Parts: sequence; structure tokens; C-alpha cells
Amino acid sequence: MTSLVLAAWPDSWSREQRCSATMIAAGVVLVLFMWLLATPLAAMPEPVGPAAQQFAEGSRVTVELTLVSGLLGVLFGVLAAVGKLARFAPLRWAASFYIWAIRGTPLLVQMLFVFLALPMIAPGLALSDFNSAALALAFNVGAYNAEAIRAGILAVPKGQTEASRSLGLSPFQTFRDVVFPQSFKIALPPLVNNIVALLKDSSLAYVIGVVELSNVGNRVQAATFQPVPVFVATASIYLILTTVLTQISGAIEARLDVEQRQH
Amino acid sequence: MSHSTPQAIGAVRAPLPNPALVREPLIRAEGVNKHFGVAHVLRDVTTRFFQSEVAVIIGASGSGKSTFLRTLNRLEAHDSGRIVVDGIELNDAVTNLDAIRREVGMVFQQFNLFPHLTVLDNVTLAPRRVRGVRREEADAAAMELLTRVGLEDHAHKHPFALSGGQQQRVAIARSLAMSPRVLLFDEPTSALDPEMIGEVLDVMKDLARSGMTMIVVTHEMSFAREVGDRIVFFDHGRILQEAPPDQFFEGQQNERIRAFLGQIVH
Ligand SMILES: Nc1ncnc2c1ncn2[C@@H]1O[C@H](COP(=O)(O)OP(=O)(O)OP(=O)(O)O)[C@@H](O)[C@H]1O
Ligand SMILES: [Mg+2]
Repeated sequence: MTSLVLAAWPDSWSREQRCSATMIAAGVVLVLFMWLLATPLAAMPEPVGPAAQQFAEGSRVTVELTLVSGLLGVLFGVLAAVGKLARFAPLRWAASFYIWAIRGTPLLVQMLFVFLALPMIAPGLALSDFNSAALALAFNVGAYNAEAIRAGILAVPKGQTEASRSLGLSPFQTFRDVVFPQSFKIALPPLVNNIVALLKDSSLAYVIGVVELSNVGNRVQAATFQPVPVFVATASIYLILTTVLTQISGAIEARLDVEQRQH
Repeated sequence: MSHSTPQAIGAVRAPLPNPALVREPLIRAEGVNKHFGVAHVLRDVTTRFFQSEVAVIIGASGSGKSTFLRTLNRLEAHDSGRIVVDGIELNDAVTNLDAIRREVGMVFQQFNLFPHLTVLDNVTLAPRRVRGVRREEADAAAMELLTRVGLEDHAHKHPFALSGGQQQRVAIARSLAMSPRVLLFDEPTSALDPEMIGEVLDVMKDLARSGMTMIVVTHEMSFAREVGDRIVFFDHGRILQEAPPDQFFEGQQNERIRAFLGQIVH
């Protein structure tokens, strides 16, 4: 799947060039897709055509939700992974508690908690529906990312840390310059799975009133009583988005793969 | 002998410990003990290493050679005794640790190059991060070192694209980039195919000739004879004997050591 696009470039191009080209192309496709989505949709028959603007707007919200919570989620994942490996015990406890609590409760409950319960606990934390959804999704995916990143960190051979420390690099420099880049490469495939799952999970934002893609689908369906074309259109847009996402990540993966195990 | 520096020649000639000739040692280990669980891996190890000296540590597998080497830059912490490097005692004080690690370089059996960085970046990482050297300066210095180990044409490759011998030479250049006062080698040629051992030993001989202080764990007896100023023989966590190579290899009286040499020298 991922190698499809990579293989499409001219043979004379280097691996780096192909990967960069794929990333740029996929990024451009994504932006064009978001920007122009309304046009092809508008050409579609009832009931999708007349609701083209709504579908386009809903897709944009879905993508924004995924990008914001995806980036935050990687940050949370790194923090929790480092916390779990920390020498300072309370940090380990905090990270373990976070991962345990998030993975043991439904995302739906987490989302309702952030939107409805958090403002009760801390009145300053009354967030908009979008921000609540993004935060809940970020916390959720972060817990799963933590496991992937932790496994990646543990997979970096101990000799790497020893070499770095014996050159005089501090523990932080060793992590930033030596261990983390290598662990991130190892963790990338599971991280991408998590982010594809996140794109789909973002549909749950619907319950707290965010007008994202699924919500739009349901609204149009409720107004037109034609669930089949409406949900075929909705699902197709999700499929296109997840496909573009895997292409981008496949290219990043190949770019980091300096040892060329795959290409 | 291959040495050009007066200290090295002096060290070769002086029967060890001769307090009259001996100057302040670069590294002092006094009564060092180390346990791994119930295993007593280092037992009252006491020795000294001097500026520009090449000390070669030999001994059976599991006798504690690597562990001792690793206590000298505190990759392993010793349980008791004292280790003083360049006047700084190795203990839990972090400031001491960072200072020591800059002065004591280490070359590993498995090279441990950073696979995600180019050869050049492997060499420049520590000077740039630890000493704050600007990239252009670090690159220029690294190219000089790579030329010295014969790898200037490979600067922009990644380690996986090099042979084992080339990787180990990069690892040596990487250590040298921090201008350490002493270099530790833990079986630097043991992971290499036979035809690549020579190129690494040549680089090490060259270093010894330039006056670098080296402590080398190896099974390469020809290197020990030719370059070593002193042989340190480990046996079950103890130093059983220290002697200049000619004395150690020619007139060896100790039965255990003779048995060991009989196995290893063909
Ligand atoms: N991290 C560790 N944990 C537990 N035991 C260890 C550890 N490192 C070494 N040992 C044990 O300590 C003893 C000395 O090991 P060391 O690696 O220093 O020996 P060596 O002389 O370098 O042997 P070799 O020639 O095989 O490299 C061995 O019995 C080894 O099993
Ligand atoms: Mg060893």
C-alpha cells in the first residue's frame, strides 16, 4: 500500500527524493482535497449535492480535530513514555496512572468528562466543544502512543546510550540526539496506526455537538431520509482521508529508513 | 619499540613500580571492588596508569577486564575503593562525572556508532553539544580526524554502509574528537573479520606513537608485544601480574599465565 506511490516516481530519483516528493504530493493532495471538496460533491445527485458545503465543512473539522489532537497526542505520548521510564518513582506512578486510566475507560466517557465534568471541577476549564473534543482525543491517543514510544525507546540498544554518555553528552542530550530519533523510527508504524484510529475516533466528537463529518452525515440523513447515499458519501470521504494519511506516513517511514531495509 | 615520546620509552624501560622515576599517574585505582549480585567481579584491584602509557589488559573470559575498564569512566560504579582520574575522584557527584567523561574516551567491541547519523555527524555530535563548537569548525576538525584514520571519502555515508573495520575506525575518530586525555579500548577488534583487524590495529599503533594514553583490553598478543608498555593480567577479578611485555611473554614463571598464553598464542 505505502510503496505504491513511492514506486511511481522516476527510477533516477534517490530514495530521499522519492520520499520527500511523496510527502509533498500527499500534503498537497490533502490541502486540495479540503479546499476543493465542495465542487465534486456539489455535482453529485440528491441528497449529497445540495449538502456539499456542509460535507466539506464537516471534513475540514474532522481533519483539524485529527491534526490538533494528533500532534498533542504525540507530545503526551512522549511525556508519558519518558515518565514511565524515569528513575524518579512518582513520575513513573503518574505516567502509569494516566495510561491505566485512559486505556481502561471508553473514549466516549472521556469526551463527556472533559466537556461536562471538567468545568464543574475547575470553572476556568470550560472549553468549547471543539477544544474539549481535541483535548479528550489527545489524552486518549497519547496513552496509546506512550506504549508505542516506550517500546521504541527500550528497543534502542544499550550500547547507544553508553557510547553517547562516554562521549560526555548529558542524559538529556543523549535522549534528544541519540535515543529518541532512533526510537521514533521504531515507534512510527504503531504511531501511524494510532493516528488513523484517531481520525476515525474523532467521529465521537459528534456527541458533544462538534459539527464534524459524521455529524454532518447524520444531519443530512435526518433531513432527507436517504441514509444509503449519505453514508456511502460519508464513508468514502473517511476512506480517502485515511488513505492519504497512510501515504504520508509511509513516506516519512521510508525517509527515516536510512538503512534502506524496505526500498 | 614504536614510541617516539620520552615518557613512553621511560615507561617501557622502568621496571614497574619505581617510585623514583614515576610521576603523578593519570589514573589511580586503589582497592577497587565490584559485585554483580553475589558475583564478586573485581577484587581489590589496585593499579596506576601514566601519561602516554599503553597498558594492555589480558585475561580469561569473565575475569573482569571489561568491568574494570568500565569503572574507569563510570559506566559501572564500583562498590568500594577509590578511582581517581586526572585528580578527580569518581563518585556520585554529577559534575565530576561529566568532567571525567570528557577526558576519558571509550571504543567498544561493537563500535556503537549512531546509525541515524552520517559518519561526519557521528564525529561532530559530541564536540558540538558538549563543547559548543560551531558546526563548520567541528566539521573541519572531524575531516582532519577522518583523514587520519583514512576515511575522509566516507564522511557523508551512514555507518551501515561501511565495513566493520571502517566503522571501528570511525568510532576511534569519534572518541578523538573530544580530545580525551586517555582512550579505553574494550576488545576493539574482536567483532571484526580477520582481514579487517590489521587496519584497526594500525590506527591504534599510530595513536600510541603520537603519545596517546591508552588502556586496551585485547586478545591480540602481537599488538600487546609490539605496542604495549605494560601487560596487566586479570584472573578472577584480581590483577595477578603486571609486567613489561618482554618480561611477561618471554620469562613467564606463573603457571596459570603460562597456561593462558599457551591457549591463546598459536
Ligand atoms: N551487567 C552485568 N550483570 C551481571 N553480571 C555481569 C554484568 N557484567 C558482567 N557480569 C559478570 O561479571 C563477570 C566479569 O565480566 P566481564 O565482562 O568484566 O569479563 P571480561 O573479562 O571482560 O570477559 P570477556 O573476555 O568475555 O569480555 C562475568 O562473570 C560476567 O558474567
Ligand atoms: Mg569483556
